[in-house]
Amino acid sequence: MSEELVYLSPAWVAEAGRRLCAELTPEMLKRLTSSMLTVYTACPDGADRALYYNVVDGVVTELSLEEGTPRDAEFTITADYDTFARISRAELKARAALMSGKMTLKGNLVKALRLAPVVDRLNEVLATIPTVY
Amino acid sequence: MTQPSDPYFIDFAARVRALQVAMAEAGIDVYLGSRLRTLSWLTDAFFPWRSFVVVPPHGLPTAITFLIDAARAADDSWLDEEHVLGYGPMGGQDQVSVLRTLIAPHLPGGRGVVGFETGTATYLPEGNLTHYEFEALNAALPGARLQNAHDLVDRLSLIKDPGTINRFREASRMVDVGHQAVYEAICHGGYQGMTETEIAGLASYAMRKAGSEWEWSFTGGNEIASGYRTGLAAGACTPASRRALRPGEPLMVDLHAMFRLGLGDHAHNYLLGPATERQHWHARNFVSAVEHCLAAYQPGVTPSSLADTMFDFMEEGGFADYMVPGFEHGIGLMGDEWRIGLNDGPFPYWTNPEHEYRPGEMLICPMQYACPEEEIGFRYENPILITEDGCEPLSRFPLGVEEI
Repeated sequence: MSEELVYLSPAWVAEAGRRLCAELTPEMLKRLTSSMLTVYTACPDGADRALYYNVVDGVVTELSLEEGTPRDAEFTITADYDTFARISRAELKARAALMSGKMTLKGNLVKALRLAPVVDRLNEVLATIPTVY
Repeated sequence: MTQPSDPYFIDFAARVRALQVAMAEAGIDVYLGSRLRTLSWLTDAFFPWRSFVVVPPHGLPTAITFLIDAARAADDSWLDEEHVLGYGPMGGQDQVSVLRTLIAPHLPGGRGVVGFETGTATYLPEGNLTHYEFEALNAALPGARLQNAHDLVDRLSLIKDPGTINRFREASRMVDVGHQAVYEAICHGGYQGMTETEIAGLASYAMRKAGSEWEWSFTGGNEIASGYRTGLAAGACTPASRRALRPGEPLMVDLHAMFRLGLGDHAHNYLLGPATERQHWHARNFVSAVEHCLAAYQPGVTPSSLADTMFDFMEEGGFADYMVPGFEHGIGLMGDEWRIGLNDGPFPYWTNPEHEYRPGEMLICPMQYACPEEEIGFRYENPILITEDGCEPLSRFPLGVEEI
């Protein structure tokens, strides 16, 4: 696939879900069962958006763009669109964004740190999608 | 987590429920504990880092501590990992943000009363909310009113339950093991060439072998003094120094052990021979004063009445000049040190001299005998439990001042 998809567009989300299921094994996701919400503030059109991930026993069972008030998740990661875009382009490490306050995490920090490698793997797959920001 | 059949079992869930009842009666929606004593009393874990515990109106409390120690604390606590959280320097995960996340859902419409802990204390690790924390929480919870409520926990934790008492008994047994090890090491001239720090260390080793978790006292662990250091009139805490033990001098051995947050604290004294008759005279005075004091402790006695009793006795014996005033300091699970009763005396956050002891209260019976001009002094400390008709000293190492 060489066509570039618009970041966070329905087509981009569908491709992201497909790649996550195809490329990540339950072992790579540590047979995790959890949910995560990434909230993108200040998108280019001025709106906020959220992506909801559901993982059951190491399988990504859902990746959806949330409209309106997003669902609660075990972990909520919030940052502005530009910060997420820079992380996706490998211009900024997620850890650095979190530690500088550019990104906020809501949820059990001890558990989140344990799951950090899993989130890194998710991000590595998403970074392979040809994307226009 | 232990079961009710365990002699050291403490019903922490019942403590939480009792606090929630007290909160409701006081009109408090959420209780924010920050003192070490409150964390120990509610969580059954040791929190050496700046930590907090949030008690909602119903359900389980949540403790938060520095991230680097949170998993260990959760492992030690009766609370699960969902109720022992970490904080750190990350977006949304600093102390105040996590506290806000835990507290806000329990404030109806964002408004309500948050009980917190403030005051002053002689004890450095007390843990009252700092001014910065207070201001930051006020800003983070704009509709809430913060109200000092430390007395709720202090009142509920005053009378000790059997599990707590048994933990203190076990910690006291460990201290006695330490004292026996010191005695065996120093007798028959064995002390020669030793330093105070070495005495502290060999006692620590013996107590750790017996299961003690650490020499908990913030005053320097095991407090060892020899020679002139025993006679410092304002020298009730003597972290061991590198001073070598010498014949003809007194030796003070004040040991501390911890067993599941229960605290052992017992001081024993020696005369390193050859001792003079004058040194023995001081020693007899001290031992008789301790015996008299232990016999005087019973329900209804107050710090004030006990001081009167003791000074009458010591004046009659002609040694009142050498006794440092004060025959009590409070004790509870780790972090609960110094306060007697509710610390509601005429000076804020100091002992109430008219506090009447009740059965089930526990305190340290401390006595400091000091004669600086003769470079001699002795110390007694022992956790005592107020019983129906007297007191029970928990450390059983025989009282005396032996000449080595």
